[in-house]
Amino acid sequence: MNDRTDREGRADRLGRPVRAENYTASRPPGWQGQPGGCGIASCISLKGGRIGGDRISRMLTIMEERENGLGAGYACYGLFPERRDQYCLQFFFDDEEGKRDVENFLDGRLDIAHDEKVFIQESSTIAPPYPLVWRYFADVPENREWRGERGLGEEDYLVELVQHINEKIPKAFCVSSGKDMAVFKGNGYSYEIADLYDLGRYSGTMWLSHSRFPTNSPAWWAGAHPLSLLDWGVCHNGEITSYGVNRKLVEMNGYRCTVLTDTEVVTYLWDLLVRRNQLPVEVAAFAMAPSTFQEISLLPAAERRLAEWLRITYKEAFLNGPFSIIVGRSRPDISLIALADRKKLRPMIAGLSPDEDVVYCASEESAIRIVEPDARTWAPGAGNPLIAVAGKGLVRRGTEPSFQGVSV
Amino acid sequence: MSETPPTKRLDHRLPERFVPTINYDLCRVCRRCVNDCSYQALEFRESRVVPSGGCVACGRCIAICPASCIEIRPVPPQFAPHGNWSERSRRSILAQASSGGVLLSSCGADDPNPAIFDDLLLDAAQVTNPSIDPLREPVETVTYLGRRPGRLEVYDGKVIVREDDTPLIRMDMPLMFGHISLGSISYNAQKALFMAAKELNIVAGSGEGGLHPDFYQYADRICSEVASGRFGIKPEYLKGVAAVEIKIGQGAKPGHGGHLPGEKVTTMISETRMIPLGTDALSPYPHHDIYSIEDLAQLISVLKESTEYRLPVGVKIAAVHNVGAIASGLVRAGADFLTVDGFKGGTGAAPRVIRDHAGLPVEVAIAAVDRRLTQEGLRNRVTVCAGGGIRSSADMIKALALGADVVMVSTSAMVAMGCRVCQQCHRGLCSWGIATQRDDLTARLDPNLAAARIVRLFRAWNEELKEVLGAMGIDAVESLVGNRDRLRYRGPNPKIAEVMNVKHIGEGWG
Repeated sequence: MNDRTDREGRADRLGRPVRAENYTASRPPGWQGQPGGCGIASCISLKGGRIGGDRISRMLTIMEERENGLGAGYACYGLFPERRDQYCLQFFFDDEEGKRDVENFLDGRLDIAHDEKVFIQESSTIAPPYPLVWRYFADVPENREWRGERGLGEEDYLVELVQHINEKIPKAFCVSSGKDMAVFKGNGYSYEIADLYDLGRYSGTMWLSHSRFPTNSPAWWAGAHPLSLLDWGVCHNGEITSYGVNRKLVEMNGYRCTVLTDTEVVTYLWDLLVRRNQLPVEVAAFAMAPSTFQEISLLPAAERRLAEWLRITYKEAFLNGPFSIIVGRSRPDISLIALADRKKLRPMIAGLSPDEDVVYCASEESAIRIVEPDARTWAPGAGNPLIAVAGKGLVRRGTEPSFQGVSV
Repeated sequence: MSETPPTKRLDHRLPERFVPTINYDLCRVCRRCVNDCSYQALEFRESRVVPSGGCVACGRCIAICPASCIEIRPVPPQFAPHGNWSERSRRSILAQASSGGVLLSSCGADDPNPAIFDDLLLDAAQVTNPSIDPLREPVETVTYLGRRPGRLEVYDGKVIVREDDTPLIRMDMPLMFGHISLGSISYNAQKALFMAAKELNIVAGSGEGGLHPDFYQYADRICSEVASGRFGIKPEYLKGVAAVEIKIGQGAKPGHGGHLPGEKVTTMISETRMIPLGTDALSPYPHHDIYSIEDLAQLISVLKESTEYRLPVGVKIAAVHNVGAIASGLVRAGADFLTVDGFKGGTGAAPRVIRDHAGLPVEVAIAAVDRRLTQEGLRNRVTVCAGGGIRSSADMIKALALGADVVMVSTSAMVAMGCRVCQQCHRGLCSWGIATQRDDLTARLDPNLAAARIVRLFRAWNEELKEVLGAMGIDAVESLVGNRDRLRYRGPNPKIAEVMNVKHIGEGWG
């Protein structure tokens, strides 16, 4: 007989009780990254309309075979129209002490305009304790200084602060730090996380979501997806076989790996390539999932030159192994990027609502059909990014020839 | 003190190490072995072939015997057993007491210290990521050698490619042939290496002995070496080649120069090296215009200037204890690529004390260089080449995973040609026609056949590389370079693993 009489009544497919290990903001001792399978789903309103949180949770929870209760999460963009120009720093705290330390650290370093407790249901099937989830709306002061350096840009400065907190301040973890967006994640099934945060109370222009099937426990609240830095949010299904190489590139550029998963490195790569090195989004995608040299040799001359040099220059950004990712950002426009590895070893399907307003991307077609039965769906190609931008439309479907639309 | 002649001269003759043994039931007395043995270890006496001493186990007689009747037997220990005073140590003392000289040897360090490579295990993909069959799916091994820009510049949403700024060489596999000079090896042996490099579309080192005019046809696959002796350096040597490399040191003899004895400086060698016939070719220990890092920076600029910035200019150093910091200095001095040569690397002649006791194993050196360059944010600017004792595709793959972009091989290429690693190169009597300048011996090596054997060997290694990459779920070799997560250490000393930043077996991901 399966033992389903666990305190919370939660059990995996073998009937074993699923227990959270109670690691919320603090990293579990001896934590090492862990591979696993996952479900990802996302939607964006091209006209900049608002999509309710219940829609994304329906998309994600239908893919129930892709998760085992050890982590799920959502990111919402276009979430705070009244405070869209302030950074929203959302934290997990293990206790008041973590909160106090972070507030002491931020005091004088950021101008906190407003802070509030993030709503959490009082009861949930997820094993307690839950972290204290708190958000701060902040402006970056004009005269800022980090370790003697005065010339830092706003965003670089914020990256330093966030990484410092995550690396050095115990019992606290900053889970998102972008403008007009926030991340809601934790250690449970996708529906449990949606219930816990009562996602239905939120609506935004774009949602990303992720459910996990890690191959071993413990799970960790802060280690759930989406992983986020500034306004980047990344949900990732896959296992990057080149992790050691990619990690080197981000560390060389000053990023400090605190979550120790490949997804974290993917997040930093997007920030490095697009925000700091200013590569166009599709070019960054081709750096991460490059064509083979054989394919490159068949491109027209100017594109061939770019493709070749992109691959040579950013060979450490090449994400090898199976993955499909959805990436969001809120600046300059709310955008959704979906990308699968160059052999497309993990699934990714896209859909467009009949009124051509909402673009969907997900691991399974079911996720799209459950909320949009009449969507037109298609499969973006291997290593071929789909890009949808609120206010601009579906910039790239992921089926075009490589480098189409890239000015060379 | 006046010398008194010994009353009875005791010739401390050392016992033989090998004896060619002939099965007289099969021997046809064709005497081919006698004629072919350049060490004169066989003679024809009283109607049969008998050993005459001095066998080095080069194996030539075995290979050419039409009756397959020769076997080379190691002579059992002739010294009283002693746990501390090995036979090797006593032989060295006796030889040195007789000659009074610095003991010379050749090939890599032959002491029985195990290679760290053998203590490393590779990873493979299971379930959570799929492995790839290289016969069904592309698995790429294309490798570029030279400086990389670190990032691409973007103006107005347009990505700017300045390919002229950073010359790069494209190779079909992450492999290069090390620097073996004309002089240390024969014309035919060097020709075979160059032919093979061209066929494999990789790069071969010229060695420090200049470039024979016959080899200009392979120039686009040759990396010209500029060593402290500056032999044979002229416009043709620098222009039209694939790359230029300044040799500071060599793994087999860190801190040492080179010495090609006058008797090997034949007309051909003298013309190619641009030195007088029959004179010793001495490479100074340091470059006498490089006493410091800023001097190296000047030589790098001079070479870049004289090659009009069209070639990558690299620097080769022996793996020494501070190799990480030195490597970072090389990059800052302007090197486009650097080569680290481990202490098991080969040589045509080196003092045994240096060869066996100085330097660093290449495995540790690669990891140290990779880590240091990463810490300093320089690793994605340069190509790191490494070699010194690479015996197999497994060693090559592990060297890549430890952090080398390109693996340098020399001895294995020579073994493919016929070398049996008998360690007699310094005597110039190579019976295989490789490490010799004697016309009758060099004529034994057919460069076409030798090149074909080298090509087959390294194509096979490259196939094995693809198999391993595919098994790891990696479909391009650049995703293996420095990916130490895919290695585990199983040796006796976990400190080595820690220094190399490789996890111990039994430890999972992270």
